[in-house]
This record gives sequence, structure tokens and C-alpha cells, in this order.
Amino acid sequence: MIDLHGYGPRLAEGALVTIELAVLSLALAIVLGLITASAKMSRSWLAHRIGTLYTTIIRGVPDLVLMMLMFFGGQIGINMFTDWLYYQFDIDIFINVNEFVAGVITIGLIFGAYMGETFRGAFLAVDSGQIEAGRAYGMSQWLVFRRIRFPQMMRHAIPGLSNNWMVLLKTTALVSVIGLSDMVRVASEASKATREPFTFMLIVAVIYLLIASVSEWGFARLQKRYNVGYREAD
Amino acid sequence: MADTPIPLEVRNIKKRFGDTEVLKGLSLAAHKGDVITLIGASGSGKSTFLRCMNLLEQPDEGELIVHGETVRFKQTKHGREPADWKQVVRMRAKLSMVFQSFNLWAHMTLLENVIEAPVHVLGKPKKEAIEQARALLDRVGLSERADAYPAQMSGGQQQRGAIARALAMDPEVMLFDEPTSALDPELVGDVLKVMRDLAKEGRTMIVVTHEMAFARDVSSQVIYLHQGVIEEAGAPADVLGNPRSERLKQFLAPKH
Repeated sequence: MIDLHGYGPRLAEGALVTIELAVLSLALAIVLGLITASAKMSRSWLAHRIGTLYTTIIRGVPDLVLMMLMFFGGQIGINMFTDWLYYQFDIDIFINVNEFVAGVITIGLIFGAYMGETFRGAFLAVDSGQIEAGRAYGMSQWLVFRRIRFPQMMRHAIPGLSNNWMVLLKTTALVSVIGLSDMVRVASEASKATREPFTFMLIVAVIYLLIASVSEWGFARLQKRYNVGYREAD
Repeated sequence: MADTPIPLEVRNIKKRFGDTEVLKGLSLAAHKGDVITLIGASGSGKSTFLRCMNLLEQPDEGELIVHGETVRFKQTKHGREPADWKQVVRMRAKLSMVFQSFNLWAHMTLLENVIEAPVHVLGKPKKEAIEQARALLDRVGLSERADAYPAQMSGGQQQRGAIARALAMDPEVMLFDEPTSALDPELVGDVLKVMRDLAKEGRTMIVVTHEMAFARDVSSQVIYLHQGVIEEAGAPADVLGNPRSERLKQFLAPKH
């Protein structure tokens, strides 16, 4: 049996942090992605420009740099805001940027941009006759979205979504640099203390692989669900 | 005729695509029980005219009156648009459309397609909607295909299913946009038979079609469109049996 030198429980906690971080970031990224896709497909000039600006910035700046900017810069920004509240309205609050929240927001922001592109392509792939039929039967825009556009779009989005998720999962390792105790940070601490880096990193690699395999299975099921009604061939 | 209710009336509809004016001031009134067929060569504007009636296309000018209610418009920088989309949604629910390419929702079974709008737009209880849907599918000869997905059905079955979906809304007027044009010849008959039955039971219908036999036998009024203008209109015996304009004569002449 592998000797974990008592780091087992902390590694398990770290794995849980990784999973929580990844899942919450994914949720945020999906919401941001849907908004971005809508903005980019909107005929409003301003919405279109904001959407494009967002994806350009996110895709052009390294993830690590964004994360540090968000964590350290975010704290400075919030401090300025609370100072302003204090001087203007005599409201005295102190908000500390939590590493976990900063991680979720940064990763969600990064992948929201990628999801935006995935969703935009998927929305454009939906046959316009399907949407017209909804409108012709008196559905409101929201109802058409909920009942027709979204379920039909998902069928085209899932391959890209699943790809983004895999990359997102691995990007969570970056949060160890802002001090969040995810499994990578726990493993690196353990490696230093025990001088057995190989053991701990191997365990981390296996856990990542395990999460990835389970998600691949999950996405295959989702794909099947959204493919209902379409021939296997297409 | 004059004192029967008018479920749908359009007045002076004009529509431009870019610099081309495709509809040049078209009017039409569908009285209860009317079957109006729109005929004309491709590019004559007949489908666009039909699509203006439920605002899938926005007419640049003209009035639209559904069951006595005039649709309100406003000018925006994108052109003329309905002033109140809620009104449009309400009005569309009274007009069902049957499309050339069927447009049954691909991710739903046939039964789910038929109950979708009654449940989610009209707010009908699901159980009641299912009962009604089964009866309608029976009527169009598809009771055995209720659980099939559109991709598993032939074109003729899909179109009859689409007619059942339209009927489930209990519409004031049914709009048919070339309902048989995408079908193999041997499948056209079943669809036309369903449409004839609907006409016989007094459904108000506006039909864009190339089926001259249907226009002649079933319609109460035939409208011949040419380049966005109503060239001739009237009873089928007059318009089809005794065409006045050269163009219509040519259009009706047997093609080889």
C-alpha cells in the first residue's frame, strides 16, 4: 500500500475543493456563455461590441495572469469601493476576497468566453424553420428559447461543452497559486514535506483522470438525451 | 357573405426586400368558412404575402386585422415593427400555419408536437390536450405514429402530423404555405384529402399552392398574384375557368 504520510484526508479534501471549484465555475461559465452568445447574435450594436470585447480580452490574456489580476486587483478594487462607501455614506464594511470565490469568478469568466463561442455556433446550427414554427404558434420569445432553441442548440453544443469542461477542470490547478488548498496545492506541500513528489503527483494525476472519465461518461449520456429524435447517422 | 364574421383581414400590404418591392399593396378578407387559394409563379410574392399575415415577415405598410383587432405597429430604426409583441403572440395563437417543410419540432414525438402549443401557449391541462391530440391524430390517420419522432416519419406523415398540430390550436384561420410542394407525388394525395375534409367542415383556410385541382374544387376564392400585385381574383370558375389576362392564361396553360 502507498504510504501517504497522513496526507490522505487532506488530499481528499483538496479533491473535493477541485470538484466544487470546477462545477461552480462551469455553472458560471454556462450562464456567461449564454449571455455572450446572445449578445454577439444581438442586432444591438452595443451588445455585440461588449460581447466581442469580452471574448477578445479573455482569449488574449493568459489564464494565470487573469487569475492574479482578479485576486489581487479584485481586493484593491473592493477596498476602494468600501472606502468610498465609508466616506460617502458612513457605511463601514470590510470584504475580504475569498480565494475560492475569486477562483470561481476567474475560471467562470475565462470559460464563459469560450462557452460563448460554443453556444453561438450551436444556436446558429438550429434550423430556422423550427424557430419559425414556434413563433407561428404564438410562443413568446422566452418560450421559443426554453422549449425549442435551447434543447435543439444543446445537441450541437455538447461536444464543445464537454471539451471546454475538460480544459476547465485542468485549469482549476491554477488556483493553488493564489493560495487555495485544492488537491494540487496539498500534493505539492506533501511532496515538499515528504520528499516524495512522484507519489503525490501521481495520485493527483489519477484523480484528475478519474473525474475526467466520469464526466466523459456523463456527457455521452447527455449527448444521447439531446440527440433524441435525430437519426444516429447525423 | 357580408354579415359573416371576418376572422382575418389584411389591407394594402406592402413589403420590400432591399430595393425590390415584392408586395405592392395587397388586400384580402377571409370570412368565416372561406377557403382562399393564392396562386402564381414562384417569385410572385404569394408565400411572402401569407407570411405577412402572421407577421413572420414584417410588412412595411398595411393593416392587419385579426378577429376585429387591429395590430398596432411602430417605426424603429430597423423598420416597422409591432408595437406590442404580446398582441402579436395572442393574434398568432388564433392563426395556425402549416409549412412547406413541415417544421415539426425534431426533438419531440408527434404527440408532443401536437400538445406543445395548446399546453404552453393556450394553457390547456396536459391530460385534456393529450386526449384531443389522440383524436386529431386519429383523424389524419396517424394514431399509430403518436410516439414516433419526425425523422422517423415520411414527408406525407409529417405534413399530416403538422396539420394535426395546427388543428390542436382550434385556430380561427389556418394558413397553408405550399403544403404539398416538398412531398413525393404519391404522398400528395393523402395530405390534400385531409385539407379537403377541413374545407368541407367549414374551416377558414388560406392556401398557397400549385395544386390547381385543389384550387378549382375546394376554394371559395382564387387569387392570382403576379409580381406582387393581385392580377385576378374571384370564384374559381371565373378565375381558373375563364381567365382574362394573358399572363394568367399562360400560367394555367398545360406545361410540357
